[in-house]
Amino acid sequence: MFKKAKDNVEYLISLFLSIFAALLIGALIMLLNGQNPIVGYKALVLGAFGSKYKIATTFAKTVPLILTGLATAISFMSGIFNIGGEGQLYLGAFAAAYIGFTFTNLPVFIAIILAIIASALIGGLYAYFPAVLRVKYEIDEVITTIMLNSVAILFTNYLVNYPFQAAQGKMGGTDMIAEAFKFPKLVKLSKLNTSIFYTAIIAIIIYYLIKKTPFGYNFRIVGENGVFAKYAGINTKRYMILAMVISGALCGIAGAFEVYGVHYRFLQNISKGYAFDGMLVALIVKNNPVGIILMSIFFAMLKTGSNSMEVATGIPSELILVIQSIIILFIAGENGFKKLFKEYRLKRGKLVK
Amino acid sequence: MLHDVFNLTLLQNTIRTATPLILAALGGLLTMHAGILNIGMEGMILIGAFFGVLGSYYFGSALAGVLLAMLSGLLIGLIFGVFTIELKSDEFIIGIAINIFAGGLTVFLLRSIFGVKGAFSSPKIVPLPDVHFPIIDKLGFLDVIFNNHSVFIYISWILVICVYIFLYKTPYGYWMRGAGEHPECLETVGVSPKRMKYISSLLCGIFCGIAGAHLSLGYLTLFTENMSAGRGFIALAAIIFGASNPIKTFGAALLFGFFDALGIRLQGVGIASQFTQMIPYLATIFVLFIVAKGKLNRKGI
Amino acid sequence: MSERIIELKNVSKQFPSVLANDNISLHINKGEIYAIVGENGAGKSTLMKTMYGLHEPTSGEVYIKGEKIKSFSPSNSIKRGIGMVHQHFMLVPSFTIAENIVLGSEPRSKRIFSDKKKAVDIVKSLSRTYGLEVDPNAKIQDVSVGIQQRVEILKTLYKGADILILDEPTAVLTPQETEELFKVIKRLVNELDKTVIIITHKLNEVLTISDRVAVMRQGKLVDVVNTREVNEKILAELMVGREVLLEDIDKPEIKGEEVVRVKDLVVKDNRGFDALKGVSFHINKGEILGVAGIEGNGQSELTEALAGMRKIEVGHVFIKGIDATGFNPKKIRELGVAHIPEDRLVTGLSKVSSITDNILMGSQFKEEFCKNKLHLKRDKIRDYAKKLIKKFDVRTPSEDVKVGSLSGGNMQKVVIAREFSFNTEILLISQPTRGVDIGAIEFIHDQIIKKRNEGCAILLISAELDEIFRLSDRIITLYEGKVTGEFKNGEITKNEIGYYMTGNRKEQV
Repeated sequence: MFKKAKDNVEYLISLFLSIFAALLIGALIMLLNGQNPIVGYKALVLGAFGSKYKIATTFAKTVPLILTGLATAISFMSGIFNIGGEGQLYLGAFAAAYIGFTFTNLPVFIAIILAIIASALIGGLYAYFPAVLRVKYEIDEVITTIMLNSVAILFTNYLVNYPFQAAQGKMGGTDMIAEAFKFPKLVKLSKLNTSIFYTAIIAIIIYYLIKKTPFGYNFRIVGENGVFAKYAGINTKRYMILAMVISGALCGIAGAFEVYGVHYRFLQNISKGYAFDGMLVALIVKNNPVGIILMSIFFAMLKTGSNSMEVATGIPSELILVIQSIIILFIAGENGFKKLFKEYRLKRGKLVK
Repeated sequence: MLHDVFNLTLLQNTIRTATPLILAALGGLLTMHAGILNIGMEGMILIGAFFGVLGSYYFGSALAGVLLAMLSGLLIGLIFGVFTIELKSDEFIIGIAINIFAGGLTVFLLRSIFGVKGAFSSPKIVPLPDVHFPIIDKLGFLDVIFNNHSVFIYISWILVICVYIFLYKTPYGYWMRGAGEHPECLETVGVSPKRMKYISSLLCGIFCGIAGAHLSLGYLTLFTENMSAGRGFIALAAIIFGASNPIKTFGAALLFGFFDALGIRLQGVGIASQFTQMIPYLATIFVLFIVAKGKLNRKGI
Repeated sequence: MSERIIELKNVSKQFPSVLANDNISLHINKGEIYAIVGENGAGKSTLMKTMYGLHEPTSGEVYIKGEKIKSFSPSNSIKRGIGMVHQHFMLVPSFTIAENIVLGSEPRSKRIFSDKKKAVDIVKSLSRTYGLEVDPNAKIQDVSVGIQQRVEILKTLYKGADILILDEPTAVLTPQETEELFKVIKRLVNELDKTVIIITHKLNEVLTISDRVAVMRQGKLVDVVNTREVNEKILAELMVGREVLLEDIDKPEIKGEEVVRVKDLVVKDNRGFDALKGVSFHINKGEILGVAGIEGNGQSELTEALAGMRKIEVGHVFIKGIDATGFNPKKIRELGVAHIPEDRLVTGLSKVSSITDNILMGSQFKEEFCKNKLHLKRDKIRDYAKKLIKKFDVRTPSEDVKVGSLSGGNMQKVVIAREFSFNTEILLISQPTRGVDIGAIEFIHDQIIKKRNEGCAILLISAELDEIFRLSDRIITLYEGKVTGEFKNGEITKNEIGYYMTGNRKEQV
């Protein structure tokens, strides 16, 4: 028992060290700008959690992060790397919007189910192709999914500007979805809406899948040692494709929720890199579903609070993007750092001897 | 109408739009040869673009801008190298982190140094000079296409040849390619593959820095948020399309630049440009597919 | 007395988990062909890498041409005139032969350019001098392995080597290429005054080519002998003979029907050469069929083919009367086959996963551990893991420990625990006790015999002759992909079987 606990503790220490170091660098930058970092960070926290509205805003931001984070987790843990979440999200969002503004007479419940299914299908399908290319032809899925991101964004861009442009003219978006389909807001004026409940349900399902079912176990073993999985009789290729499709479906759903919960239409720049943020979230917590939820809240806090920080100190809110990317750099280098540290200790030990 | 799209200016524009791709791709193909897939070029270009403007604005000299852009590229290449080579982190994770870092850092600095949001332009930013060759003045269409471009357009062509010579005609090029293809082999003949990988990573940073400076000082004279706008990824596409060969990559970059220029002009006359813009990405996947299929076929025999 | 060109004094090399070289002292004379033999993992390659400067020994001293080595690096060794031909060729596939030969010390023009023409000339003249014909402008990826090896040798000669280290040089060669290589080696030594060190586990080759032989086993130097004073049998004994005093095991006679039949099996190795050239045998219920042979004679490919992990080119495998040729691992397992693979770290386990996860593999959909094929019963699984850990004596603080942190013997017990607990009728067991300490060996042997007595049909592949003789009911010998003999245990002695293992079908000894 203690060995595993030790691994976890070691990782948690690295995680907190990374976050602490990144925040420290942020503090240094504030100091260089002649500002008091304590004031800045206090404003940041209060800005994210200081009122009902602020808390609502923070939690509204967790929705795409959690979904794309889980999407990343399931693909990465299976040893296939879906970097194409952004494109899958765009296509999913468009598909959901299409249903929302085309079949306006459908019963609300059916329409929403249909929209979610459509977004999941199109997102999953869009992830299926690079997965097959990888499994069958050994084509690096990192490259293909990156390329497909741009293709999907351009394609939806075309759709909203030409065949599906809004009735009032070219405005970079489609028509609004039917009034009845919009997810109700949970806190007035904020963006927090019922999609957070759906997200919670999805998170529980994915958690269950990953942690409690033999399928989740298989995904993990395929990712940890594919040769072993194959030897033990697992069809590794099928599992890799499946992981990718689930991943794409989740990103597609994230897009649908943006449409039904926030914008009520498809916009040509509906996501500002949500899938990449979600990917960072998952990478930082090493694909742990509970960790993804916590880290999403942390990232959302940084995002929401950064505006208050800006108001309080005049430090541009983009500082938190710098902080986030430094955290991921440190976490990505974790093993390397540890190894260097061990080698250093070994060398010193040898000299002493 | 088509006459408005397909004319000499289109070719002139092609050369303009292709140049940042060429410069970045030259850097990226060095890391590719050294065995590192660099998807952080997007961020490296962005950083170069910002520091180019910063240097030019403060020192009142385009050269200073370019030098600062190169320096910033060098630093970011060093960070990329330390993490991917020394700490053996995943290349694509570091690449993505660098892209996000660059996006955040440039906007942060844009706002804290210049106090503006979105874009910064000023008459105090000295642009890169255009070059005029009197010899081809009289040569009609050649003059239209090739004359009076920003200086880095011509430099990029020279650099293509330099990189080609470096890779295929000097021992260092052999070592760099060896470092990517068979690092242990290089090690056994007494050359450090790690060092070659570092050099490729630093050079890539510098090239991307120049690409950025060209974008913000040669192509335009301003910095805007996220102005690299996917060029890092198209450059990657050009590298893959050109099989990491500088000449072929140059050709691919010109081709992709052509589609970009065509898109812009089509948009000008009200035709959807998105499909022409997609071509580089789809073409890359297609090429990967053909190559992979060929490999499998060979295995079959 | 000829000059000692290389001398090792008490050299040890400790890796994080193993002592790869244990206090080795030896010397190599100028102008001799010195062979080092030993099983896989005996420490030959480590020793070579130390001589070549790729490793620094943990303790001990290395002298080259009388001079003590202070800083270990390949470039220093190259300067001292040592060249190494690695088992896996150190050649860049997309470069030409000339480019590869001069890599790292290219002839230059105008200081910064590499002079291709000169490189080609150099290679041509080297070719002529040493009689090693190559086309300098051909790309490595387009030439045969025989030529590639020639290039490797030329590469060392270009760098001025007078001591050549060849690591398993014949492993990838056809017999004709091997013959060719040996001619070259003899020429280098006899006419051009070079010294050659050759590492191999093919004993017949050692006898043909070398002057002296050093035998290594489990990191130790067992003996150094003059080649003309020994024969294959003596060498084989030195190589595989593990001095383990294990008592004979009581094996009650079981008469059972045939469960496995292999017919005319042809299987290719990773390089595309035939590793098995028409192998046939059968195994009955309650019987252990031992496969004796020096490693690399097709044993690995045989188990992989039977487990469904390697393509069967020709021939058939029947399991319980069903033609299982071409089945995938899943189908083979469904027929009732469990498999202890020879490479437990890559194939048999997931190192970064916990013991529990490793034990669960293959049972994750069983009703016992999984409700409705959907919900894993974590408590049941944990209890099961604990039970197996106890039953198979896995020494670990907890079932949550990552397998990679266990010792070799305990890792193997995890594999055995899992595979034996499937209660299958057929077991494929490959190198069950490699890298395992003596206490664990005894335990593992007992488990195998228990399985046999329960009526299992077992295929046992081992490089340890003692193991084969102790456990098997019947023994076949495998040499170069062919069955060279079949015996009931007791019909033949360890001494006699050596002849069959080395390809000589001696009728009577």
